[in-house]
Amino acid sequence: MAAVPFERIDADAPKLAPANAILTVDDIVKRFETPDGVLTAIDHVSLSVAPGEFVGVIGPSGCGKSTLFNVIGGLLDGYDGTVKVAGERVRGPHPAIGMIFQEESTFPWRNVLDNVAFPLEIAGMPRAERYDRARHFVKLVGLDGFERRYPAELSGGMRQRVSMARTLAAQPKILLMDEPFASLDEQTRLLLGDKVLQIQQQLKQTTLLITHNITEAVQLSDRVVVMTYRPGKVKRMVEINLPRPRSSEIVSSEAFGRYVAQIWSDLREEASRGLDDEESRKLHEGEKR
Amino acid sequence: MAETGRLRLSATAPLGLPLRPVTALRIAIIVAVVVIWEAVSASGWLYRDVVPSLAAIGKALYATLSDPTFYFHLGTTAYEIAIAMVIGGLSGLAVGILLGGSKFMSRAYEAYLYYLGPCPKIIFFPIMIMWFGVGPGSKVAMGAISCFFPVALNVAGGMREIDKVLIRVGRSFRANTWQMVTKIYLPAMRHPVINGVRLGLGVALIGTLLAETKLSNRGIGFLVIQAYSIFNMPQMYALLIILFVIAIGANTLIGRLGGLDDIKRS
Repeated sequence: MAAVPFERIDADAPKLAPANAILTVDDIVKRFETPDGVLTAIDHVSLSVAPGEFVGVIGPSGCGKSTLFNVIGGLLDGYDGTVKVAGERVRGPHPAIGMIFQEESTFPWRNVLDNVAFPLEIAGMPRAERYDRARHFVKLVGLDGFERRYPAELSGGMRQRVSMARTLAAQPKILLMDEPFASLDEQTRLLLGDKVLQIQQQLKQTTLLITHNITEAVQLSDRVVVMTYRPGKVKRMVEINLPRPRSSEIVSSEAFGRYVAQIWSDLREEASRGLDDEESRKLHEGEKR
Repeated sequence: MAETGRLRLSATAPLGLPLRPVTALRIAIIVAVVVIWEAVSASGWLYRDVVPSLAAIGKALYATLSDPTFYFHLGTTAYEIAIAMVIGGLSGLAVGILLGGSKFMSRAYEAYLYYLGPCPKIIFFPIMIMWFGVGPGSKVAMGAISCFFPVALNVAGGMREIDKVLIRVGRSFRANTWQMVTKIYLPAMRHPVINGVRLGLGVALIGTLLAETKLSNRGIGFLVIQAYSIFNMPQMYALLIILFVIAIGANTLIGRLGGLDDIKRS
């Protein structure tokens, strides 16, 4: 992967596209019909991810992050633009893309091992082989010993690790995560971030992480894409030149602080726009009543 | 923990009996009913045998249970209910999935289920006799009609309440329709489905037995009404007790089935 110098790039500038990109998102526009008219959720968003790269997409609430997640994952259609995996156009869920959802998504009626084996079962892998592989990924996320437990017996952080192992077990070329730690407390989140770093190191897993958490984005990413508030556009791309292997201890370093401050200065404007917008909408709703 | 538990027990059981207050009350009401029953039976206030003594009921119970023809009737009823549950349950499941899976279908048809559901099914019995004859066929039909409604409504409701993210997970792993139904929809709806089957079993019992008491020549319902018509009250009560036990047993069995994964969790 060619080292790109640390710089700020405007959304209109030529895309920062690695030549060998495995995932290319090109000029996506997605609009929704709402009772108040047409809402443009994402507006000409382009980005690409090189093999082994970890890209974070950060933006305020309501910037269309989750829409982007669903478009790339193939769960949402009716958009303009293209999503390509290794040059091949994606229509519908693609086997090369593995999704980890924001919500609690383990199957409560399956134990940990059966949850993790689920995608392999769907793919028709023989029983012995899929349990072998599932066991490997349960171990990878550090849940060995819990194979026979049910999600209800686990903590929120453990359940999210089960989801992670389940998606990794399908061995996707690209891991797509939508705020996977949003429902967890800050400490668990940092520790799980460590787990993600460690796994990514081990698997050389190409990852696209969608988040609203700056610390998380900087801690994990090689590159951070900052999005604007509605309509969601790419505002900047920030190269994170922090040494790897990393751990959560990096959050106390000076360089880390500088990245966080820089991204926050970009994000701040957007987040406050979002806040104002929401307040005026609430006011408006109040008047309607 | 165990210490406080013991303290609470001894505090609420002044006689030193190791009973929780709930258990004590449960036993108390049974004892009260038995005592009143025997008192009324012995008093002779009511016409002979309307309230037979417990000894007479016990004797009748023993006689019934040791009579081979009883098992023929029991088998008939069990067979009718089983077939009714299969027919009513499966059609209820299918209709429930259809209604729960499509907003359009549910808006079009679900209202009918709500109108027909609470309607006493016995009014269909004459029609069922014409369609399926006086034999077990019409009893099966009555049981199946009764069972259909609670199963269909529970399945439709349960299907709508499935956590949407689980469906997205299935889609993201490219599960086909059959896999979605068997590996996500059905297991995700296990609680409402089991609950529907449970309610369905209750009303299937009612439907079948009621039909048997109306017009038939076999089955437990027939035995009950026969005992009544020859005024063999002890035997009638004995049959009612047997029915009671069977209903409780079947209900517990289904409840166990539904609670399997919860038991494993605790």
